[in-house]
Amino acid sequence: MKRRMVFILIAWVCIAQLPVFALTAEEIIGKIDDIQTFSTSVSSGEISAKDRFGVKSSTFKAWTRGTSDSLIEFTSLAEKGQKVLRTKNELYLFYPDAQELIRLQGAALRQSMLGTDISYEDMTGEKDTLAQYTAVLAGQETLGTHTCHVVVLTAKTRSVAYPMQKLWIDTQSYVVWKSQYSTQSGRLLKELEVLETQEISGRLLSRKTKISDKTRKDTETTLTITSLEIDIALDPRIFSLENLTW
Amino acid sequence: MKMKLMRVAFRNIARNMRRSILSGSAIAVAAMSIVLLFALIQGMRDDMANNLKTYYTGEIRLQNARYEEFERYNPIHLTLDWEKIDPILAQESFVKAVVPRINFPANLYIKGTSHAVMGVGADFAREAAFQDTAAIVKEGRLPQAGRNEMLMGSALARDLELKLGDRVTLLSNTASRGSNAITLEIVGLSAFPVGALNARYVWVPLDRAQKFLLMGTDTQEILILLQPRTDEAEAASIIRNDILAITGVDTDTRSWKDINVLYSLIDIAQYIYYLIGIFFFLLGSTVIINTTMMVIYERMREIGTLSALGMQGHELTGLFLMEGAFISSIGAAVGVIAGMCITFYLGKAGLDFTDAMSGIDMEISSILYPHFSIWSALFVYVYAVVISTAATLIPSHKASKIEPVEALRYI
Repeated sequence: MKRRMVFILIAWVCIAQLPVFALTAEEIIGKIDDIQTFSTSVSSGEISAKDRFGVKSSTFKAWTRGTSDSLIEFTSLAEKGQKVLRTKNELYLFYPDAQELIRLQGAALRQSMLGTDISYEDMTGEKDTLAQYTAVLAGQETLGTHTCHVVVLTAKTRSVAYPMQKLWIDTQSYVVWKSQYSTQSGRLLKELEVLETQEISGRLLSRKTKISDKTRKDTETTLTITSLEIDIALDPRIFSLENLTW
Repeated sequence: MKMKLMRVAFRNIARNMRRSILSGSAIAVAAMSIVLLFALIQGMRDDMANNLKTYYTGEIRLQNARYEEFERYNPIHLTLDWEKIDPILAQESFVKAVVPRINFPANLYIKGTSHAVMGVGADFAREAAFQDTAAIVKEGRLPQAGRNEMLMGSALARDLELKLGDRVTLLSNTASRGSNAITLEIVGLSAFPVGALNARYVWVPLDRAQKFLLMGTDTQEILILLQPRTDEAEAASIIRNDILAITGVDTDTRSWKDINVLYSLIDIAQYIYYLIGIFFFLLGSTVIINTTMMVIYERMREIGTLSALGMQGHELTGLFLMEGAFISSIGAAVGVIAGMCITFYLGKAGLDFTDAMSGIDMEISSILYPHFSIWSALFVYVYAVVISTAATLIPSHKASKIEPVEALRYI
């Protein structure tokens, strides 16, 4: 009887874990993309950048549509009215005192956004990860209390910001708790850690994320999403260039 | 006896006039070159000092006490409270003029591409007491406070194919450590004497720079000109202490010489040029040495006769030394006078280094004016005579060692 119980227990554990082990790296990445991509979203939040001079906070409101369109409008006093519009592969900046839109391209995309550890380049690019990267499952690791798949992404093209990515993905919720972005040779460029999550429409999404640009000394940025609505009706003009100059 | 030797020396100089002229010419050319070199160096120092004081640091510069430590990170947020400091400086009797300035690296956004420039926020009404504001405008006018206008370096405008009336957008980091952009109209093209200021700089009204860079009424630096004969280091110390006592805020208050390393290097370089001067004269003196030696060999019979008649070795040395001294004195005088004349002319006309200086980021004007100094001319004259005369000691000493019997063999 005892032997039978042990057998049943082992069999149950194996069966329960089967779908997890059966997933390929591509399937895991596909799941993440599905969770993190919405038809539309409206969010607001705060970016706090810590550097050698102290902590600086900015608040923003953001709208997204599909995988390529997004608009961020800064609402904090210092940057009030500044907007960043991303459409497909283009990125435009709007400043209230400037009479023209500034299109960022080339090396300018690598500039830091508002002195944070987030570059404008981080906001560009496809959200279809598998179109740009080859994924390899490197095993499982425990990160704090979370059991994670470790997936290594290697860029298929040179057009991406980071040639290599290493992701720690929760085996249950598919939250990417940690990601490291590196050069081809393995030099760490940026690190991202999810500190808090929130459940929105049945999806577990990051609420507070810590980003550190490893090419800069003693800097750290915390991105907090204070409110998020997904899959709601949005005026398509929000993502037009004309809208930027409102 | 001395008078007799002098007469003999003069006679010998006159007897070989062409050779004497050749020797004197070598000294003259060396002396002239050194006078010109010293005048050019002095002109360069004066020019650099003037440019540094006028366009870069004033005679005393005030900055936030932490600014220099983080300068490489463009800490535009490390500012000075202009409204609190200005009244304090107005009370200082030794202060002649005060201007607030904001220096900020920026990008000009033109037709989709960015061009790196240096921006300067300035109060043009106050700048009039600091620099000749009318002279720096090549075309157009100075920007006006409260208006989105800029004065652009003429060379920069030429390179970017911009003209008066064009509007350009300027991007920079702000004091809140974010970024901002502003569109400004080009209302003037500048013609600063320093090439770099025309090639890389744009000047905007102080209030526009403060608004654009989110600095409120603060400024990045305060430049001060002092009343004549004020000790700069002492004045800097008094200003710093007064600001600290009244506002409780420490500032980085320094005299222009303490800030500008390059100027100190030019100061040091002056001593190196004195050494170079010695080599110039020694080179010129080789002609005298050569001539004197030839004279000695040619006049061997005469030396033998003079020795046989009882002239002592030291008298022979003195004779040739005197000849060298006369040639040196005349040559050096001619050289120094020629150098002074050329310096005087170039001091008015100037030396145009515009092409050579283009692309060189130095605080030296494109047109340099050698600075004439009577003390420098006197120094070079004495210097030339002493070194050249001393150089004739070698062959003169040789003449004194010649035995009469040996010399008379040449008869």
